[in-house]
Amino acid sequence: MIQTDKLLDAKGLACPMPIVRTKKAMNEMEPGQVIEVQATDKGSLADLKAWAKSSGNQYLGSSEEGDVLKHYLRKADQSEEKEEIRFPHTVTNAELKQELNREDVIVLDVREPAEYAFGHIEGAVSIPLGELEKRSGELDAEKEVIVICRTGNRSDFAAKQLADKGFTRVKNAVEGMTQWDGATEQNNA
Amino acid sequence: MAGKTAIIASNGTLFDAYKVYNIATAAAASDHEVAIFFTFEGLNLINKEAYGQLPLPEGKEQIAEGFAKGNVPAIPELVEMAQELNVKFIGCQMTMDLFGLEKEAFVDGIDVGGAVTFLEFAKDADVTLTF
Repeated sequence: MIQTDKLLDAKGLACPMPIVRTKKAMNEMEPGQVIEVQATDKGSLADLKAWAKSSGNQYLGSSEEGDVLKHYLRKADQSEEKEEIRFPHTVTNAELKQELNREDVIVLDVREPAEYAFGHIEGAVSIPLGELEKRSGELDAEKEVIVICRTGNRSDFAAKQLADKGFTRVKNAVEGMTQWDGATEQNNA
Repeated sequence: MAGKTAIIASNGTLFDAYKVYNIATAAAASDHEVAIFFTFEGLNLINKEAYGQLPLPEGKEQIAEGFAKGNVPAIPELVEMAQELNVKFIGCQMTMDLFGLEKEAFVDGIDVGGAVTFLEFAKDADVTLTF
């Protein structure tokens, strides 16, 4: 069960209704929110991917449960594209790879649960940016925390938040998961 | 707007209606500006009397069962959806005159125009289709 902001039941609907309904549902969502679209139309897989690409939204992945396809999409967030990166301590993905096996390093993934579910760095801790404020206590402030998201923007916010909370060794993995070429694991069942 | 799609609907069977409205609603849902020019038998697709009971093409009557099973939306439902998504409907004045039909015979919210009305819209369209 992947946590999302909205669930759309498009089961039993034929093309193009799953797309049309998704479009309508996403109009009512906030930027950055994630929707789960349940459909039985097999064409919805290719269609939703193509639709996300043309509409600028983010297609996260799909899973299958019996006859039902579950698609996950994240609504585009313009502010992420524009936001400057300001947190001074950063690492590249190549540097991050070197740090992965160290005992005193936590990789913190601040993307939404559905984004995390469809591919994250092995062992990464998942706390979505929106929950970090109240959940930062789950992290060991003594350790080095390397924060990652999709493109380095949400992780920039997160890194600043953690530094404000007294974490002394925080770094932002600025290149993000879009440029990550190392191993990933999934848990989208 | 991510693009512009111009469609000519000139045939009047149930198959034609699905081709036209599926592409139109999919394009509109993908943020395209969409206009459909209904001409000749294509006028059936917006005719209030006809669009709920469009015929299957000759020799294809056995497909009716497939439509029932396939959970495809009814044509009036697709028309409503298309209009909600701001798909523009243009009825062809010339064929309306030819068939003796007034604007009132058609679903609400259509424009009536001639070939040039459609051409104006289609001249810088990204996708142009004829059904």
